[in-house]
Amino acid sequence: MPRRLLHLAALLGLGLAACGDGQHAVDVRLVSTTSTVDSGLLDQILPAFEEDSGFRVQVIARGTGAALALGRAGEADVLLVHARDLEDTFVAEGHGAFRRDVMTNDFVLVGPREDPAGVREVRSVAEALTRIHSAEGSGFASRGDGSGTHLREQRLWKDAGLDATADPDYLELGVGMGGLIQAASEKQAYTLVDRGTWLRFRDRVDLELVFEGGPALLNPYGVILVSPERHALRNEKAARALVDWLVSPAGHRAIQGYRKHGMPLFRPTGGER
Amino acid sequence: MEFLLDGIREAWHLLLSGDGEVWHAAWITLLCSLTATSLAALLAVPYGAWLAVYRPRGHRLQAFLLRVGMFVPTIFIGVLVYGFVARRGPLGDLDLLFTRQAIIAGEFLLAFPILGTFAHGALTGSDRRPFETARTLGASHTRTLGLLILEVRTVLVGAWLMACARCFSELGISVTVGGNVRWETRTLSSTATLRIRQGDFAGGLALGMILLVLAVVVALAAHRLAREARR
Repeated sequence: MPRRLLHLAALLGLGLAACGDGQHAVDVRLVSTTSTVDSGLLDQILPAFEEDSGFRVQVIARGTGAALALGRAGEADVLLVHARDLEDTFVAEGHGAFRRDVMTNDFVLVGPREDPAGVREVRSVAEALTRIHSAEGSGFASRGDGSGTHLREQRLWKDAGLDATADPDYLELGVGMGGLIQAASEKQAYTLVDRGTWLRFRDRVDLELVFEGGPALLNPYGVILVSPERHALRNEKAARALVDWLVSPAGHRAIQGYRKHGMPLFRPTGGER
Repeated sequence: MEFLLDGIREAWHLLLSGDGEVWHAAWITLLCSLTATSLAALLAVPYGAWLAVYRPRGHRLQAFLLRVGMFVPTIFIGVLVYGFVARRGPLGDLDLLFTRQAIIAGEFLLAFPILGTFAHGALTGSDRRPFETARTLGASHTRTLGLLILEVRTVLVGAWLMACARCFSELGISVTVGGNVRWETRTLSSTATLRIRQGDFAGGLALGMILLVLAVVVALAAHRLAREARR
């Protein structure tokens, strides 16, 4: 019996050891948004950075609101999010050392093919939302989770002077962007989605693009270096390297190179503050 | 029906073609769950046995708490562990959030009550004679406990199998404290959730199928055990 115990202990030791390997080699914890991660961009471009720099990046996906909360809690080294107001606040509060523009894409409105609310005819997103809001039997699916997409959606309703929740067909689901598009497809509802995620899911859902364009739908992404003075970064050099790379020509090339249906999902910007 | 059948066909294809992430998820699941349940067994079984045989003060309450522990939802365990290992938590300096160790810690808490309750149940109120005989013959307390545990090992292996099954399929712990980090903390359940959310139904199904196979393996082992016990 003692021998068996020894065997078990050895196995356990191996198990625990196997669990530790490779994990402490993480140099940068990048917390990004679910839409960015779901779009597949980071899986595509980060290996290039890792090869160039020799640093390993760990990616955690959260909604923008939750990502910033993780930053405040000292759990993140670098943030890649899309809610300019919140990003600026984050830096102003001292949690972020600085923010830089990285890339943009835009939001689009998608909805059922038959377009019961007649959104295809409108000239502005405010008009589109008004029609969806008042039309019977035309639902709207919302992220409802404090994500960048959700925050923009809320701002659009506000700018249109509407109380979204007054519409009985307004649904709030906490399932991430990919999940939301599918839910909207299942329920044949309208929804706001970033173009990157839309391009990725377009062929798999029963929805069509019904409205695009205009300054209200622009979606700029920012990268924030969590302040090394406020929080203990895993590896400050590595974190700075990642931020610098994302706004460098190499980073731009990588971002530009991520395409679906021939179109880049994100347009690189930045290079200066 | 087409949707489902197509999904199954695609899933099967994914499994055979060796989708790296799918099989890696299986590996992570087995690694974390087996380590956690074995650690839990090492500690919970002697504890449960000791409670049953020596009946110390408060043994009834402890036995009850063990039983309650079996029914605690995994999301609660996940949130609890998160509270401990997050930077601001008491163990924050250990940097354990979003690691496999954190998942193991949580699954340990999941498995411990199961193994403890069964060890206790197997030895409580049972025949005192083996105990008395061993002690009379001069066996130490440790040795005695060990012998009694050995006697009921069939039940304990069954409990271990059940704890494994619980850990294989849990989601509340791995997602909350594991963070679903690619190549590191994605288990079968958490990857399946991710795949479905990303619209990859076949991928989700493939992972689910592996979980099903694991369930069958565990059930077969438990079945064999039960048969042998009856002989």
